[in-house]
Amino acid sequence: MTKTDCYFLPSKAAQNLLERHVEKLSPVVIDDAPPSGFRLVDTFDGEVRKTGRLLFATGNRLQLLSKDTGFLHQVSSRTDGYVADLDEGDVKTALQNISPLRRLQAIGETDIEEVTLAFVDSAQKTRVRARVWFMNASGGGSAALVVLQGLRGYDKALNQLRAHVLASGGGSFSDGALYKSLFPMQVVYVPKPKIAVGRKEAAFDAANDIIHAYLPIVRLNEPGIIKDIDIEFLHDYRIGLRKIRSVLSLFSEVYSDKMTVSLKQRFSSLMSPTGQLRDLDVYLAEKDKFYALLPKRLHAGLDALFALFANRRAEQQSILAKHLKSKAYTQEIEDLVSLFAKKKKLRKGKNAGQPALEYSRALIWKKYGKVCTIAANIDDQTEDEEVHNLRIQCKKLRYLMEFFAPVFPKKEFNSILQPLKKLQDNLGLFNDYSVQQESLHALLDELNTNQKGENLEIAQSLGALIVVLHGKQLQERARVVESFAKFNDAKTKETFQALFKKQKAKA
Amino acid sequence: MKIIACYSNKGGVGKTAAAVNLAYAFAAAGSRTLICDLDPQGASSFYFRVKPSKKLKETLFFKDVQRFTKAIRATDYENLDIVPANMSFRDFDVFLSRMKNSRSRLQKALKAGGSEYDTIILDCPPNISTLSENVFRAADCIVVPVIPTTLSEQTFEQLVAFFRDNRLQRKKLLAFFSMVQRSKKLHRDTMERMQKKHPKRFLDSAVPFSTEIEKMGINRAPVATYGARKGPGAAYQNLHMDVVDRL
Repeated sequence: MTKTDCYFLPSKAAQNLLERHVEKLSPVVIDDAPPSGFRLVDTFDGEVRKTGRLLFATGNRLQLLSKDTGFLHQVSSRTDGYVADLDEGDVKTALQNISPLRRLQAIGETDIEEVTLAFVDSAQKTRVRARVWFMNASGGGSAALVVLQGLRGYDKALNQLRAHVLASGGGSFSDGALYKSLFPMQVVYVPKPKIAVGRKEAAFDAANDIIHAYLPIVRLNEPGIIKDIDIEFLHDYRIGLRKIRSVLSLFSEVYSDKMTVSLKQRFSSLMSPTGQLRDLDVYLAEKDKFYALLPKRLHAGLDALFALFANRRAEQQSILAKHLKSKAYTQEIEDLVSLFAKKKKLRKGKNAGQPALEYSRALIWKKYGKVCTIAANIDDQTEDEEVHNLRIQCKKLRYLMEFFAPVFPKKEFNSILQPLKKLQDNLGLFNDYSVQQESLHALLDELNTNQKGENLEIAQSLGALIVVLHGKQLQERARVVESFAKFNDAKTKETFQALFKKQKAKA
Repeated sequence: MKIIACYSNKGGVGKTAAAVNLAYAFAAAGSRTLICDLDPQGASSFYFRVKPSKKLKETLFFKDVQRFTKAIRATDYENLDIVPANMSFRDFDVFLSRMKNSRSRLQKALKAGGSEYDTIILDCPPNISTLSENVFRAADCIVVPVIPTTLSEQTFEQLVAFFRDNRLQRKKLLAFFSMVQRSKKLHRDTMERMQKKHPKRFLDSAVPFSTEIEKMGINRAPVATYGARKGPGAAYQNLHMDVVDRL
């Protein structure tokens, strides 16, 4: 397969392509297929589109258009759901890089009329061809896709047509413009918004901008949680809330004390009903890993355990869906959105007016100092509690750095962010194993007080799991001192100083 | 890769029509096909509406693989490309005579430049020359259109004699009757006589005289593409099958 020369084109420009000369070449329609209906399929976060592809479904047929491989086709009894649910075929193989946690769904319906054009010279010889897909979506939106087909020995004509298409408003079909034109009422979901924090921007404005950018992400994930499309909706919902909460706790005194306390409390209340469902989601998503941890004879207990998890998850999902649909929730989230949109009622703290650059330098430098102090006191004998504290402080440091990343030089900034992420991986695993043991212990206690036939089998497997997880936690614990040393080498120290301590050094 | 030459030492016998329509038939059957217009008059290039190549001049055809492949143009038909003619092809004989291994130069050039094709069809100029000797050596078979008339008969005999005298493989010669008018007794008698004399040289298929074939000059396309599938289109289709059988 060869690379595909394919572009998004506004409908009107595509119509003009049928009628207007390109340099000395005239367009001739050589085929015009009657329109037929297609569903455009993608994950909620547009993974297919963002990886330079478009997925169409009609009946039980799937058609994947890719910049790299051209068109791929296959028949599948299912045309939505997880990639793993599709029948085996070329399209499924090509979609292996789509997250296994994201479900493919129809994002809209469109009619497609395919017109094949030949651009001919004065002798009526074809020099270049184009396939134009005129797409008319059911909601009234329209767009076109143009696939250019060069002919051997006629590179000049292909280049002329490509230049013409680009000059007529053509562009990449993967940057969202195609979806926007077809489905103008749909919001293109961007899970990690780019927030331009300026160096001189007041800390108060920076905090508001970040919260204002994450609130719509929280809201956009609500329908997916309610419909239980896939577990990533809740995950992204919680990340959005967590980012907001970390702004409130890390940006010291940008809001008045009273306001800070109230906002922290309100966002905590939004987060708390989601915890149990998320924990169960993680258990179920990592089911295979748990099976791999235990010998086969204990798998029957795991079967029962995961059946129990699945039941509890269904209960929790229904509780959360009900909560998200409730008037109280809707009112609260709308109030918060309005609060940060209007900003009038937000009360400033004493650091509100500080410019972002200086403000963030001081915060990050202070947090880095704290991380180093805790780490300096950790050795093999230190209580786990301190390791947890290190993890939390590292997480705060990472959030602070990410919020203010636009203010600092990219290269140096990334050179310290990457090692920090590695350290966090180690601390994160340590924490996961610890939290999982705790929750399995709690479940074990619950089962003991609730004697039933199969509970003994579950209890055996739970006990074994706790032992294995404990072993894994010890392994991660043993790596902490070394991991921190790797993160905080001479170069990292130097970069932290240069980036965040600079002003003090001058003074 | 198979190399098929369409050749006749007599002009105006339907050689280019055979090359163009055979090439189309091979391509339509799924074979990646290159037609190479060696005739400086450029008739097959004209039929495919492809302009003469400007850069594939003189000895470059034989010496410069990159130039050769760069000169290849897609026709309007799937699987079918062409090396268009160039006026300097008329001096091929002069170039070839100056070059070492002058009789196997064409074969070398085609093997190097046309390696991605399954079939290469050569549309050759009508003479016996160093170029045609190259063609006879390079080709796996030489398709020879013969009008069933006395003059054509005579030139065909000359060709067979040339092959015999120069120890060329006569079994490469695949003749077929071209522009046949069965209503004419002369045509019928000549065909019968020649088939008897050269039973192994003649293919079963024959192409009738047809105004549809003459219209190729106006339509500038293979006959099968403009509604002549039944008559002459079918005749070239049969010719294609006969050639495939002999290959």
